[in-house]
Amino acid sequence: MDLQSFAGPFVPEIVLLAATLLVFLLDVVRVRDNEIVGAVALGSVVLALLLVLADLGFAPLAVLATVPSSSIDASVTGAPLYSFTSLGLVFQGLFLLAALLVCLASLSRPKDERGAPIFYGLLLLATLGMVLVAIASDLIFLLLAIELVSVPTYLLVAYSRRDARALEAAMKFYIIGALSTTLSFFGASLLYGAYGTTNLHALATAEAAAGTAGYPVLVLLGYGFLIAGLAFKATLVPFHAWAVDVYDGAPTDVTAFLAGGSKKVGLFAFFLVFLAPILFVRTMASGSPFVTGSVAVGPVLQITLAFLAVVTMTLGNVLALLQKEMKRMLAYSSISQAGYMLIGIAVGTAPALAGATLQILAHVLMKTGAFLVVGAVAALGVGPLIDDYKGLGQKRPLLGVAFGLMLLSLAGVPLTVGFVSKFVLFSAAVQAKGYFVWLAVAGLLNSALSVFYYARVLKVLFFDVAEPRALATGAVVGGSEPEILPVGGLGYGRAAAIALVAVVVVVLGVYPQPVLGAIQNAAQHFVNLGG
Amino acid sequence: MTDLSVVGFLGLSSALLAVGIFGVLTRRNFILLLISIEIAMNAAILNFVYFAGFLGGTSGLTGQAIAVVLIGFAATEVAVGLGIVLALNRAKGTINVAQATELRL
Repeated sequence: MDLQSFAGPFVPEIVLLAATLLVFLLDVVRVRDNEIVGAVALGSVVLALLLVLADLGFAPLAVLATVPSSSIDASVTGAPLYSFTSLGLVFQGLFLLAALLVCLASLSRPKDERGAPIFYGLLLLATLGMVLVAIASDLIFLLLAIELVSVPTYLLVAYSRRDARALEAAMKFYIIGALSTTLSFFGASLLYGAYGTTNLHALATAEAAAGTAGYPVLVLLGYGFLIAGLAFKATLVPFHAWAVDVYDGAPTDVTAFLAGGSKKVGLFAFFLVFLAPILFVRTMASGSPFVTGSVAVGPVLQITLAFLAVVTMTLGNVLALLQKEMKRMLAYSSISQAGYMLIGIAVGTAPALAGATLQILAHVLMKTGAFLVVGAVAALGVGPLIDDYKGLGQKRPLLGVAFGLMLLSLAGVPLTVGFVSKFVLFSAAVQAKGYFVWLAVAGLLNSALSVFYYARVLKVLFFDVAEPRALATGAVVGGSEPEILPVGGLGYGRAAAIALVAVVVVVLGVYPQPVLGAIQNAAQHFVNLGG
Repeated sequence: MTDLSVVGFLGLSSALLAVGIFGVLTRRNFILLLISIEIAMNAAILNFVYFAGFLGGTSGLTGQAIAVVLIGFAATEVAVGLGIVLALNRAKGTINVAQATELRL
């Protein structure tokens, strides 16, 4: 195989890797301006996003396509480390979108802030890992790609090296992250021992043929450890406790990347690892092929994931209700949203997967946007409590409306993308019948519950009287001397990122058909391939 | 699975994992936490090595390759952890995890 046909499909990854190296090189030659380094990072992410969109068959960009269309959604032969599926490409797009929003917003940070090349370099490296996760088809490749996301994000939380709160968050993030990695690898080793392969497709085939025959303890323990390890990354209850502290303590732009981007990596890993056994069992449901005395893995996984989904969304919502600080409230809301996404995997039909994917897309937009707003508001000198946001909507109508739109979308109000995604997801669960109907009911009840705390923020934003000291300065904190940024203290980059999210949230809410169609198509292909 | 050596080896790696997790839960010194995480990671690596021998053939080679990659990976992860320890020690003058209480749980 010559270099071009081997490396050709990896052009987006190569672009990201080259930009990472370039950014670290700029640090060495002492070019550390936030704008220059940020422009390199933003440019590479935009280029990679365009290449991925071209691969997805977006007509105006067809010239740029790098993955041969014959190898997208091709049936699996042998035991490859990676394969290109259209759902994987959709997720590459989502991950790059999150990175793009964070890069764009970070352009408006203070010029003389230290560590810009380190910030962008680590961000690009984590993005590279996310893009690799989306094409994994081998368990070890997947886990190592997840680590390529995790290790840079541990450092990203602490990149300022001075802020004691951020360092404490990084420490907790590191301990929990490293422990969860260990659990995942231990689970992978047990599955390898039971079936003699680490290829995800081969694993699923072996399960379909033999169930847990011979090694029930190995297989079930292996999947148990994998669920625990990956649930840490995806912030599912009861493995969520680290997330709130880390989201709270990290610099807000980094929090936006963690909540909007890197935690979706854990969820997509759930797609890759657990969907294949679930699907294989469905196709073989009639005339059970399982050897006597063995357990079919799929139904056990479905029940476990359904249970985790209900617990995650309920506990996340209840704890979000009790929070007084904006960042912690959004962190718990992010945890509860992971529960909705998990419904799609537990149900495991093509429409449910499409719903979960759309929910993840919606969450990338809403949550990244919301944390970027929180970062902007903090830079304007407003405190961390929800009550500190009193009157924001009156003093800064545009910022308030953008934030309000994201909150409405998180609550699932019609005409926003959050409503469309929940509608598709819950109706797919109802169509799947059985106990999945109760998953949809639990999801609806939780959506109703979540309206309380989103509405409370909306009331604070628009109807409470502002305190006189709030939003007085417009000065940016953190720089050596106060510096007034354009666009009312937000800076062009951050204002553009927030406006982009607000517009897309509404556009996709009113006219979701093209995106929804593409996602449904991809999910159908993914299910046909058997995960 | 009734083969005594299989049970013995899985018992060894499970014990290592248990020691590692117990250490993470009880130790309050960051360096000792790092060591505990390493012990737990080695349980997974040992499993790959053992199953590689147990399976033999091509699938056995896969396990050996994975074990080598994981040893390298574990080293990089500890390097990052030590970096965080250094920064933490410089900023707060302590590496005791119990004194990290600025963020409520």
